[in-house]
Amino acid sequence: MTDENQMKTEPPVKLKGVGGGLWITIDPSRPEDLIKREVKTLFERLRNLAINAEVVIDTGGAKGHEALIKELKTYLIETFHVKTVKKPPEKRSVPVERIRQRDLSRSFNHHRSDVMMLRGRVRSGQKIESKKHIVIAGDVNPGAEISAGGDIIVLGRLKGKVHAGVPDNHNSIIFALEFNPTQVRIGSITAAGVKESSKSAAEFASIDREGIVVQDYLKVNPFGKIPWPEVI
Amino acid sequence: MKGKIIVVTSGKGGVGKTTATSAIGAALALEGNRVAVIDMDIGLRNLDVVMGLENRIVFNIVDVVNQKCKLSQAAIKDRRIDNLFLIPASQSDNKDVLTTEAVERISEDLKSEFDYVLMDSPAGIERGFENSIVGANEALVVCTPDVSSVRDADRVIGILYSKSLTPKLIVNRIEPQRVQRGEMLSHEDVLDVLSVELAGLVPLDEYVLTATNAGAPLVLQNDSRAGQAFRRIAKRLNGEESLPVEVPTHKTSMWSKISKKFGLAK
Repeated sequence: MTDENQMKTEPPVKLKGVGGGLWITIDPSRPEDLIKREVKTLFERLRNLAINAEVVIDTGGAKGHEALIKELKTYLIETFHVKTVKKPPEKRSVPVERIRQRDLSRSFNHHRSDVMMLRGRVRSGQKIESKKHIVIAGDVNPGAEISAGGDIIVLGRLKGKVHAGVPDNHNSIIFALEFNPTQVRIGSITAAGVKESSKSAAEFASIDREGIVVQDYLKVNPFGKIPWPEVI
Repeated sequence: MKGKIIVVTSGKGGVGKTTATSAIGAALALEGNRVAVIDMDIGLRNLDVVMGLENRIVFNIVDVVNQKCKLSQAAIKDRRIDNLFLIPASQSDNKDVLTTEAVERISEDLKSEFDYVLMDSPAGIERGFENSIVGANEALVVCTPDVSSVRDADRVIGILYSKSLTPKLIVNRIEPQRVQRGEMLSHEDVLDVLSVELAGLVPLDEYVLTATNAGAPLVLQNDSRAGQAFRRIAKRLNGEESLPVEVPTHKTSMWSKISKKFGLAK
């Protein structure tokens, strides 16, 4: 069956109740007469339910067809006494819309964080493990070990052994205000720390095509590219 | 009398725990306190040799814990310094003969007998170490300015914090000349990593070896810089907390001072 045939089997007008109103999805590629007839049958079946309803006419993303929509609008208001007839609100792509809604809606406030945040010095022999991201406000001494399922952020000197993205998340990063670890692992890739002390700038390690690279954080600004705050 | 038990520990061996214990113990006694120093290194006893009391040992700490003798019988009185007592370790047993419960029990007796009890902990973080910290009220961590010693001290500090003991740090064997040349970690570098309160800084001193071998109290030698540093640490422990920590410096010769003034020195 071709695409066209499949479309033809779909009804030219679909109606569903949305919130406080009605949502009509029309297929503008079909003859106008057919659409009008279908709308008429559907609304006649609704009768009183249509009175004062807020109606949205959705052309399924097809541009134009202003005349048809206008015609339907006057017809619906005069014949069935609906309250308003509008076009659907502008849509963003679905995944973007979903993230944005999650972040900027109320759920932002009662979101359970996937971050483990600690304060204080991590000493030699101490091992911190988490399936989440780890943020440490303090120093990580040589001989200490940090392992996280996600990113590792150290707001201080990092001199211990760190493993981010356990077991195989290669998108994780390791950040430190003073980046000087004995060993770095991201996912399954390991790199030995360097002896010389790092520059005074904040640095982070991430995975490149060639392996683990350490870069100046502010110059690369890996999270600066995300346009709005995301919950993690 | 309700005394204090102070454990002297380090993690790493050979950094000067025993020297520090004997010197601080002697210095605290010189301040007029009744002091006991206890060798907790069962099986490898040293403190008696360092204090020159080896030939007077009859009973030891294991006998006290196992109630074979009284505390007063095991405590050897130092003849040169009043109010200084040594309770030696047993040389024939191993560290497993003591249990933490038994040590905890005698620590109450010790606190009622003495003003200060210094426990010389063995190296490591095993049974012997656990036994020495179980009754302690305070902890002194000794380290030398080298990376491995700092690493072990860091581990020990972590364990002490987990046992609700807040340790103080002694940086031993500082060589000011080498620090100046950048060959040795400075005490600031050490404190950067360990970030605990500093009890004192002790310079490397050739008197330590001769005093240790002779079993003579280091703190009685007025021209020993290490001995004097330990005396200041004892004063700080004994309530003079405001006594400033002296940073060991390298004494430059008259000639280099003069040439420096004229801009001739490097």
